[in-house]
Amino acid sequence: MSIDQLRSYAAARPGVAAVWLTVCVGAFCLALEAVFPWLIGWPSVLELPASDWIGAGVTAVLETVKPVARGFSYLMDFPMFWTNALLVGTPWPITIGCVTALGWYIGGLRLAALGGIGLSLVLASGYWTESMNTLALVAVSVPLALLLGGMIGILAYENARVRSAVLATLDVMQTVPTFAYLTPLLLLFGFGPVVGLVASAIYAAPPMARNVLLGLERVDPDIKDAAVMSGGTRFQQLFLVEIPSATTQIMVGVNQCLMAALSMVIIAAVIGGFDDIGWEVLLTMRKAQFGQSFLAGLVIVVFAIVIDRMSGALTQARRKRHDRRGLYLILGLTVAAMVLLWQRLPATADFALFDPLASYVDQSLGNFTAQNGAALDAFKNVLVFFIFLPLRIGLDNAVLSFTWGFQWTPMMSFAFYACAAVLAASLVWCERALAGGLLLVAALVLETGISELPWPFVLMGVGALGWMAGGRKLALSVVLMLLAILLSGLWERALLSLYLSGVAVVACAGLGGALGLLAAASPMAWRVLRPVCDMLQTIPLFVFLIPVLMFFQIGEFSAFLAICAYAIVPMIRYTQHGLTTTPPELLDAATTSGATAWQTMWDVRVPYAVPTILLGLNQTILYAFAMLVIAALIGTTGLGQSIFLALGQADVGLGITAGAAMAMLALIADRLVQGFAEERRKALGL
Amino acid sequence: MTDTLSTPPAISCKGVWQVFGQNAEQQLAEALKQSGGAPRGAADLLREKGLIPAVQDATFDVAEGELFVIMGLSGSGKSTLIRSLSRLQESTAGEINIEGEDILRASKARMTELRRSTLGMVFQHFGLFPHMSVIDNVAFPLKVSGMGRSARHEKVREIIKMVGLAGREDAFPRELSGGQRQRVGIARSLAGDCSVWFLDEPFSALDPLIRRQLQDEFLEIRARLNTTIVFITHDITEALKLADRIAIMKDGEIVQIGTPAEIVLNPVNDYVAEFSKDVATGRHARVASVMKTGADMPADMAQDPGLRSDMTLEAALAACVSLYGPVPVRDANGAVVGTVSPHELSVRTLEGADQHQPGAQE
Repeated sequence: MSIDQLRSYAAARPGVAAVWLTVCVGAFCLALEAVFPWLIGWPSVLELPASDWIGAGVTAVLETVKPVARGFSYLMDFPMFWTNALLVGTPWPITIGCVTALGWYIGGLRLAALGGIGLSLVLASGYWTESMNTLALVAVSVPLALLLGGMIGILAYENARVRSAVLATLDVMQTVPTFAYLTPLLLLFGFGPVVGLVASAIYAAPPMARNVLLGLERVDPDIKDAAVMSGGTRFQQLFLVEIPSATTQIMVGVNQCLMAALSMVIIAAVIGGFDDIGWEVLLTMRKAQFGQSFLAGLVIVVFAIVIDRMSGALTQARRKRHDRRGLYLILGLTVAAMVLLWQRLPATADFALFDPLASYVDQSLGNFTAQNGAALDAFKNVLVFFIFLPLRIGLDNAVLSFTWGFQWTPMMSFAFYACAAVLAASLVWCERALAGGLLLVAALVLETGISELPWPFVLMGVGALGWMAGGRKLALSVVLMLLAILLSGLWERALLSLYLSGVAVVACAGLGGALGLLAAASPMAWRVLRPVCDMLQTIPLFVFLIPVLMFFQIGEFSAFLAICAYAIVPMIRYTQHGLTTTPPELLDAATTSGATAWQTMWDVRVPYAVPTILLGLNQTILYAFAMLVIAALIGTTGLGQSIFLALGQADVGLGITAGAAMAMLALIADRLVQGFAEERRKALGL
Repeated sequence: MTDTLSTPPAISCKGVWQVFGQNAEQQLAEALKQSGGAPRGAADLLREKGLIPAVQDATFDVAEGELFVIMGLSGSGKSTLIRSLSRLQESTAGEINIEGEDILRASKARMTELRRSTLGMVFQHFGLFPHMSVIDNVAFPLKVSGMGRSARHEKVREIIKMVGLAGREDAFPRELSGGQRQRVGIARSLAGDCSVWFLDEPFSALDPLIRRQLQDEFLEIRARLNTTIVFITHDITEALKLADRIAIMKDGEIVQIGTPAEIVLNPVNDYVAEFSKDVATGRHARVASVMKTGADMPADMAQDPGLRSDMTLEAALAACVSLYGPVPVRDANGAVVGTVSPHELSVRTLEGADQHQPGAQE
């Protein structure tokens, strides 16, 4: 083949060309590894002390803003003090009664029961005061977030230039790991609950802003025009017509805002200094009192469910009005209970109904691990030694005589590559050049290990993916982002993060995709899976750590399980949704063509659902990155650990650089998958 | 009605352009310069550059009290034109005078005032506010102009009754049928006592029976209020039924303006003819348009079926179906103004109906 022939072939099949180019770069790096070690590890001489610079710069800026922040912090002390005093000081029967009444008002008997039973459980757990402390933080931060988000949303809606800036910022903010918010805030506001407050307000504002903007944009244009032609001023149009018309979507924003605030308040507990329920989880977890930890985690879950279902009911466009008499009855009962119990009201801390449960959990856990510890360890070890370690450090380092039974030698590497090359060559021979190339890439990754991949190979591979997903611009931007990480000296940690989240994402994609397929094929399975998915999405990130710790102790494997438990949900949901929303006429066409149910599934539903499934994969990736940082609490290496360390040492530079590196990895993955989804959608003419 | 000389027109449009795209204003000026002022040439130039000339050089007058229908297929620019007239979007070039005032130069505050006092508009998809009851929807224009709650409700009840929704004041839009929803839309647009009324395909989203019913009611309301009306439709039967005059639009251009009879009988080109193809001519054309006038009237005066010049062809044919020779046609005062032969009548009556039978033209 001449050069020209090669070139025209590459132009016709850019995917194949990109893969083979990547293979060439990889082979080149491996061949020269011995001569030029800087091909594997980026030489530290060339690293820019980015985190120091950023640290110095940001610290300088923060120092100047500090007086304002401290002033704000001082101001916020008042509402926080009073909300706290109100919630903690109010006798518990009144609080429970009011929440039950609120439940009745919003959603009748069902929500009243949920509110009443939920709060009674909290009371019975003995964590009432801690819970009220957490609730006070949420109660102060949510109005702030709603106001902030609402204003940003309206501003973005009113002004096109603000809109694009806001959307870009929200996109990036979605990828910034939660812990990364905390370090600069810590410097600004000092230790204390205000940091959690501000962090949760900042973290919870974006969903509100996004939904306000979306809701306003989705108002029927005829309604907007009608408001104009009725002679309303811009102000009247907005507040009398457009915002009320967008209520449903805005309520979705309120719901998401509440959940985000709760989640962040609990995460912010790692800073400490506030006796809240998140701190309780952390404390008991560190003391390995898993029973208590589990109990406190349950209290958080109860809170999350009550808040989610109540605010979720507000998003239903047509709510039934419930009999007011129910409301008065509940409030009357509350007052009666108060009057009767006034003298003998038991203190909230006296409730410890579930302590036997906690010790029972501890005990049975102890028994369980004593009996099955060997089996659990074996399970864990098999996965770690035969899958995790080879992927992380490569077959050449992971295959040792005491785990695999033999020692990997350079000769074996050679044989391994030779086999891969022969297979790839035969694939090319059968005109499967793409598969051949991918096989070689996989062989290279497996032999070297993700954490020891040569950087030119990674840059080339990701750049090639970017090229295929979105053309030159995307390729350029992903390569630039990777270069920034490379220069910042966080490359090795970034690869470690990439490895762990990558393994988790692949596991989630496989298992979640299969479960989604099952749910799509059988409504029965979906009826079971759906509440589980709902539940998993309501639980604050933190709580996922408790059960995995109970069984597998601290370590990478526990982190992996926690990430999977959290990140698998979107994959299931989107797969099920994509597969069940095929247009009915397509299905009819397939049926009348004589396709069986499974043929329809594989040949019609799945191809049609690919863009949706890819969006699910995208969400799964973002979820995995979010959880990766939280999982640093139970011992992972990589960027998450850096961010967590920075928080502990109040090292703003490291915190921001590691956070930015994490965000960049997430952005790269996000853009690539979105690019492929977009391409598929275009190909299907959607 | 079309006598625009004695009274100034209520709406006067001169050279209105609506071009969508980057730098539309500048690009339009350049294109017009290049084409030497010819609108069609300029439009082609704009299209080549990737802009969309949605309305090109629209020029027409609407007399006070006239019902002016703008008709065209989707994408012909008719809805864009009415949005320019109501200034829901800014025109790229031209002049729009409403009751003597150039609204394109009016300030924002003045526009708001005009919309409160002079302009009313009805939308294809009703544009009802989902969070307001019928009465609050109808009273909204009064609310924004600062009228008190009881006063505006008082005033609006009358209008709600007029559109036949009495008793449903407290219903919400979601509880109403399509026809009822559009009645609310009509009532709302009338709440401000408008003198210029814009209706953008008001009945297109309704099913045929309801549509006809609302058309009739609309004509009744119109007879009572005597407002100037611009009515958009894509339905030729609706246009012919309602209009005093019709403007036909194609690809952003107004290709013909005329009375319903003129449109049906003397289409300026195949495009316009195509519209009236499905319409039996006899139902809309008047005898005046087919009769012979002048000195040589070989009328058989002995047989006088009593034809009048303003009868429709169909009615006239029914009156003289058994006759052979040309018969006289009289005007409203009974004076003979022309003659027509029954044969001619039958041919012209069936013209429209014939044309869409396959092979009829051969």
